Amino acid sequence: MSEASKTVLDSDSADSSMLLVDKHVEYIQSLDKRQDEIEYWMTEHLRISGIYWGLVALSLMNKQEGLDKEKVIEYVLSCQNSDGGFGGHTNHDSHLLYTMSAVQILVMFDELERVDADKVVGYVLSLQDPVTGEVSGDSWGEKDTRFAFISLAILSFFGSIDKINVDGVVKYVQGSMNYDGGFGSEPGGESHSAQVFTCLAALAIARKLELVDRERLSRWLAERQLKSGGLNGRPQKLEDVCYSWWVLSSLKILDRVHWVDCSRLCEFILSAQDTVGGGIADRPGDMADVYHTCFGIAGLSLAGYKGFPLVHVDPVYCMPVSVVERAGLRGWIDYIPDSWKD
Amino acid sequence: MSSVSSEESSNIVEPYALPLSKQDEWKDVTPLEQEDGQFPICPIAYTDKYKEMMDYMRAAMAAGEVSERAYRLTSDVLKKNPGHYTVWVYRKKLIEELHLDIEDELAWLESIAEMYPKNYQSWHHREVIVCMLLDPQILADMPQDQRVCHSVIRRELSFLANVIDEDSKNFHAWSYRQWLVRRYGIWEQEKVFINTMIDQDVRNNSAWNQRYFVLVQGDTSGNASIDDGVLQAEIDYAVEVIKRAPNNESPWSYIVGMLLRHAPEKLYKELLSRIQQLSNDASYGQAAKSSPFYWSALVDIYESRAAKEDSDAREKTLDLARSACTALATDHDPTRMKYWEYRQTTLV
Repeated sequence: MSEASKTVLDSDSADSSMLLVDKHVEYIQSLDKRQDEIEYWMTEHLRISGIYWGLVALSLMNKQEGLDKEKVIEYVLSCQNSDGGFGGHTNHDSHLLYTMSAVQILVMFDELERVDADKVVGYVLSLQDPVTGEVSGDSWGEKDTRFAFISLAILSFFGSIDKINVDGVVKYVQGSMNYDGGFGSEPGGESHSAQVFTCLAALAIARKLELVDRERLSRWLAERQLKSGGLNGRPQKLEDVCYSWWVLSSLKILDRVHWVDCSRLCEFILSAQDTVGGGIADRPGDMADVYHTCFGIAGLSLAGYKGFPLVHVDPVYCMPVSVVERAGLRGWIDYIPDSWKD
Repeated sequence: MSSVSSEESSNIVEPYALPLSKQDEWKDVTPLEQEDGQFPICPIAYTDKYKEMMDYMRAAMAAGEVSERAYRLTSDVLKKNPGHYTVWVYRKKLIEELHLDIEDELAWLESIAEMYPKNYQSWHHREVIVCMLLDPQILADMPQDQRVCHSVIRRELSFLANVIDEDSKNFHAWSYRQWLVRRYGIWEQEKVFINTMIDQDVRNNSAWNQRYFVLVQGDTSGNASIDDGVLQAEIDYAVEVIKRAPNNESPWSYIVGMLLRHAPEKLYKELLSRIQQLSNDASYGQAAKSSPFYWSALVDIYESRAAKEDSDAREKTLDLARSACTALATDHDPTRMKYWEYRQTTLV
């Protein structure tokens, strides 16, 4: 909750045991009108991801019309550069993270044909090292398992998976698997829930989930739940609402969501809502932001929150299941290894 | 799907006394304003000083300017907003083309790391700069204890020690450390560092992860071969640390996970007897037996043993594993009751 909103009379504050749908819609709609706040211009370089997070949050609450489709699409297209990639904002250099957000927004609006597929695909392919199979985030060369996932995801939207060296990507992801069953940001990196998600999602798209040590990884993920009901990203770290998504989406792919106490997780997420201004924070008492609002609501959807009919979310693509079905990309489910069928 | 860390939006500094438009140095440049008027969903509101800096920054980048003033301007912009990857790329080009002092660049990066310890771009930039500064071939023929005395390595290790001292679980710092250790082959020094780190905080999972990285000399594929004596020493070490805090996920996860990968028979041949001794110890036994990780290790150990036994012995061992699951579900880890109930059904 922001300092300003704490001073508001109690009568404006709502019941935090329920998902405050109307307040969250208003909060997301207000984001582009907050130019007097420092966070607004400090996040310029990832504005397009901000729109993606807002759109997912709205869609899962079945309020997608809360954003003006044409204006958003026009803006998204303005972020594309001549190399085919998208920047985080108009006139910014291309980066794989923002190309992913741009493509996801267009897919959610069912307007992917508004971009030249060959150009985007060409951009993604240009970031893979042809020898090692590793994928960089931009032309600068930073490597990370996040980019392995994103490259496969973007190509799948364009039906172009076969154009990349999938084995190379898979090898890099597999090399990032640790003794505890988790995955890090690169071979040797400490297991981290968000990287676990990116690696599992990459393997799901590559139809290689059988490479995962399902038992050990599921247990490590279940171990992330703390006494508060919230989930952390690594051992001995604080709980944070965003891990409601990273951990639960991973458990969903592994078909083990029921191993965490979902009702207590829902209570934790709801307790981090700003009951006055709307939005969800990383944990109770902190300031809300659109990133945690998105992943808090997505977490509630996966956790089977009963207080509101949230739209089902696909754990690989982080978009409504109906959108992923329309894009013809729910097929990863058919490739879940037979040995996983309990 | 990048994350917005709170560190990235804090510590705003005000680098300028005089606006750029009033400085002689910049009077030949026409600032280039951000064109976003036609997209009202995302107009950008800058504070005036930041906006002015960005206008000049854009003008310099658009003109492909290669100058020291442009380099200084990137410092000021990045100090305000280190997530601006476009500006980092431009900065690297300026350093190369102007042949600027790389030591100065590292010192400046230290100030950035202090303000924004979790910013991806600055850590990546540091790698690029250190690559420019020291070719690993130069150290190739030196023994490891001499390599760590090289000024570049010494500087990096001391910088990292400070960052890790500030936040002992900083993901970026550990990842950078692995890169450095691997690139320049300084494994022996790293063993000493890891022991110190674990000694300071036995719960530091980042340090345990680094322990494995050093154990396998960076070959994290799971196929590295490890000497028997080394494995035995790791078992002894882990058990000693477990004594100090039995309810600590990290050493349990390390020793069971490592042995499962590299020497599964040691789980029931050596580790089992060591933790049984521990559970019977007058001083530590009670604490060990109340830790869910003790019981959870027993499940894995008995399961591995059962796989190697004939049917009679096997059934008895599986019974032990199943009763450990019951103890977990009912007494030691009821939060994950559903998991332990399921786990029991897999023990057949």
